[in-house]
Amino acid sequence: MDQAKTQNVKMRKLWGRVCSWLSRPANVILLVFLIALAALTLYPLLSMLMETFTIHVGREARAAKEAAGTLSLYHFQRLFATSENDYSWIQFYQPFLNTLIVSLSASVIAILFGGTVAFLVTRTNLKYKKFVSAVFTFPYIMPSWTLALFWEAFFKNVNIGLKTSNGIMAAVFGVYMPEWFVYGAFPIALVLGLHYAPFAYILIGGILRNMDANLEEAATILRTSRPRIIWHITLPIVKPAMLSTFLLVFASSMSAYSVPVFLGSPVRYYVLSTKMKSLMDSYPGQAYIIVAVMILFGVGILLLNQKVTNSRKQFTTVTGKSGQISKINLGKANLPVAIILVIILVMVAVVPLITFAMESVIVKAGDYSLSNMTLDFWIGTNLQERLDQGDSTGILLNPKVWNALGYSLGLAATCSLIAGTCGILVGYGVAKRRGSRFSSWVNSLSFFPYLMPSLAFGAIYLAMSSKIPWLRGFLLLGLVGSVKYLPFASRSGVNAMLQLSGEIEESAVITGVPWWKRMARIIVPIQKSSFLSGYLLPMVSCMRELSLFVLLVPTSNTILTTMLMQYSEKGWAQFGNAINLLIIIVVLLVNFIVNKLTGASIDKGVGG
Amino acid sequence: MKKFAALVLALIMALCAVHALADVAADVEAGQAMTHDELVEKALAETGTFVVYGNTSRISTAAEEFAALYNIPYEPSNLKDQEIYTKLRNESGSAAADMVMIQDGAQLADAIDEGLVINFVPASMKDALDEADQQPALVHQYINKLFIYNNKGDNVPAIKNVWELTAPEMKDCVIFKNPENEKVNMNFLVMCTKPEWADKLAEAYKAWKGEDIDLGSYKNAGYKWVAEFLDNVIFGKSDTTIAEEVSQDTATGKIGLFVLSKLRSSSVLTDNLTVAQYDATVNGYTVEPFAGFMYPMYTMVNTKATRPYTAMLFIEYLMTQEGFKPWGKSIGAYSPNGAITVNEGDLTIDVWKNTLVMEDADYILENFEVEDFILQHCQK
Repeated sequence: MDQAKTQNVKMRKLWGRVCSWLSRPANVILLVFLIALAALTLYPLLSMLMETFTIHVGREARAAKEAAGTLSLYHFQRLFATSENDYSWIQFYQPFLNTLIVSLSASVIAILFGGTVAFLVTRTNLKYKKFVSAVFTFPYIMPSWTLALFWEAFFKNVNIGLKTSNGIMAAVFGVYMPEWFVYGAFPIALVLGLHYAPFAYILIGGILRNMDANLEEAATILRTSRPRIIWHITLPIVKPAMLSTFLLVFASSMSAYSVPVFLGSPVRYYVLSTKMKSLMDSYPGQAYIIVAVMILFGVGILLLNQKVTNSRKQFTTVTGKSGQISKINLGKANLPVAIILVIILVMVAVVPLITFAMESVIVKAGDYSLSNMTLDFWIGTNLQERLDQGDSTGILLNPKVWNALGYSLGLAATCSLIAGTCGILVGYGVAKRRGSRFSSWVNSLSFFPYLMPSLAFGAIYLAMSSKIPWLRGFLLLGLVGSVKYLPFASRSGVNAMLQLSGEIEESAVITGVPWWKRMARIIVPIQKSSFLSGYLLPMVSCMRELSLFVLLVPTSNTILTTMLMQYSEKGWAQFGNAINLLIIIVVLLVNFIVNKLTGASIDKGVGG
Repeated sequence: MKKFAALVLALIMALCAVHALADVAADVEAGQAMTHDELVEKALAETGTFVVYGNTSRISTAAEEFAALYNIPYEPSNLKDQEIYTKLRNESGSAAADMVMIQDGAQLADAIDEGLVINFVPASMKDALDEADQQPALVHQYINKLFIYNNKGDNVPAIKNVWELTAPEMKDCVIFKNPENEKVNMNFLVMCTKPEWADKLAEAYKAWKGEDIDLGSYKNAGYKWVAEFLDNVIFGKSDTTIAEEVSQDTATGKIGLFVLSKLRSSSVLTDNLTVAQYDATVNGYTVEPFAGFMYPMYTMVNTKATRPYTAMLFIEYLMTQEGFKPWGKSIGAYSPNGAITVNEGDLTIDVWKNTLVMEDADYILENFEVEDFILQHCQK
């Protein structure tokens, strides 16, 4: 009897604890997201891991001499330990080393370039700041292959690569760049570094802009030298942001596909992502092992990142106290530094756009004379009769293009709405329960999709959709996009919430204001621009996404990027360039409009 | 109880899938014996959008004209081979393609074994086509990739023997699409190692050098040619890019191995290009032992088709003169239907069959490990 009573009391206590635990909104949010993310990210991961042990039908079954569907270690043995024809070296070790070199270099370039510019813009009296600030995020907004294509078109010459034609540099200026500069590790790392430098700019710049001026002021009062202040105060404060940038750039560079293809293939420089793609065709088991290796590396850096984030070396930068940060006077160096910066930015952000515009109006490649120019590829009609290639009308008169544009915009808006909202909630839950294991799990899971290469992520979702009849079309694309871009929004949400001092919400909690009201009246208004920017990043990324959607779109004309890929594949360069330019213009326009209407911008997205 | 329910559900789903596959297979079997009018009647009774996948861009034009003819809602998609196979494996219901047009005979043989696609030969075409073009898969057309060189400057690589491409002076002068990125290119290189072609390559070597070939560690002359050819090659991004680049005024001394039909592109400076086999035909010599390679493009019905009769009707349409129009108006595509003649200025399919390496899916499937050897030589 007593035992039953004790049991009852225990149960009641437990129930009470559960109720009390669930009464905290942060806990409910974390629980819901833990379950949802486990299904949407862990399940794909596990099914992918299963693929690494499964013998697939066709070539794999023949090569392994095993029945399709059997579980085996064959793929591991083949990829890691086959010396015949240097197989393992060619398919894994060499590309692995190349990937490490490229990804590490790209991360260093992004941090150095983005960090320096962030410092110059936020902490000095640099000239033309507005221009620098506005244009710096362009390379990220543009699809990554944009810069790669531009690099090749600009620097190629008859001594390198295909050795068939001269780019602008050789044709106009007579300067013939060496092969290492145009193809291979250096340009791949540089292009990726420049493409992802906005991450560094956003993350490091966000902290530098918001950091408490008291620390530096105290040092200045104590007559500490400027370099010493930077080394001992500024750098330690931005260290977590630098590590975050490293994580983001390294993981992105590791899974980047188009840049290594464009700038590596002509000199036979292969990385893991290019090998993964070609292996996926015949030996998917080995391709998935490569994906697993990429993820493993990403997780390693993520753990390192978390160790720093969870340690005491994390700084609250929005305290409610204001501070005027003293700006460094660049003196005589100001103008030269500003001019150099403007030239670099014009080269990487503006000239490519002009090049695409030019390439979309010339008929014969390489001939830039007026007689070879036409607007047919934009507004022409009956083109198939005259050119015998491409579509019958220019892209602006083609209903397929407008439909694809509408679909792309709708998809991007959906993904950004879902990912952005989830990001705020995850941010709230993680920040409020910071330090708990629960919060750490959700935080990691929400970031996990970032570490999965887009192509593999798409392939896994395609396989998943085959088992769920209603999961297809827009719904499938919307779901995969929302999950894949959740990391952007959740990072943005977590960072924005971590910046908020607990005391901001405390008074409302004490007076019994309900959670939703606290969110709507206090938290969202304070960090409004950060949150809105958290919506913008998924939107922009989704608009220019290709690898993630390529297997999932109902037809290749469904969205603009797959349409662009189709045109490029077929060699309809002018149509391709015109659509590429259209994508960039639309993305810039969306960014601009959202910025003007709400004050949100990408550069506030990650760093707050 | 839950386990039981899941089991029943899985069983029902599996039965539904088997039923659907069996349905399409039965429809295709019935369709093989139908007249054109019967196919039309059945196709028009079907509902939903007619979905077509193809790795030739001109499938869109053909589908558009076909759909207009019968007033059928349609959606064509231009995809790469591998994307088509991946989608075939994973898509079902209204999202799945009804019909595919696809290359790479070796992979298609696997897809047929796997039950992804079914062959359909229209009754009206049975007598018009060779048996080899009907089974195991219906060939819609043959496509050729030829040695085509820049004819400007003093160092025109007007080859008469493919061993010339392996000479040290041809280093970095030969442009080809990476065989890792397009399987038909890989298939061609594998075919070169087939004893039949290896013997021809050995003879060609003797004709070129005036002495018997020294194989060294190579298994046969095919392996040696492939290795030395790839050592001299630069990989281009796409056949169009290769055509454009080789045709540049600045590309003297360069030769490409790419799709002949790319010469139709307005961005290619065709006056700067000479097709090796055309020159050989005009001047009465042969390019030893081959002037390039040729592979079939197949049409198949998806086993998960929701409009199988429309797919069959479309396949029948594609095999006719009218359906072949999008390809037939320029050089480089050859119908196995003898009634459809080649374009003016082009050579007949029989000439090409005798001068080019033809894809043999059986040999490629049996000798897939040759690909490892080829990959080794695709490195620096």
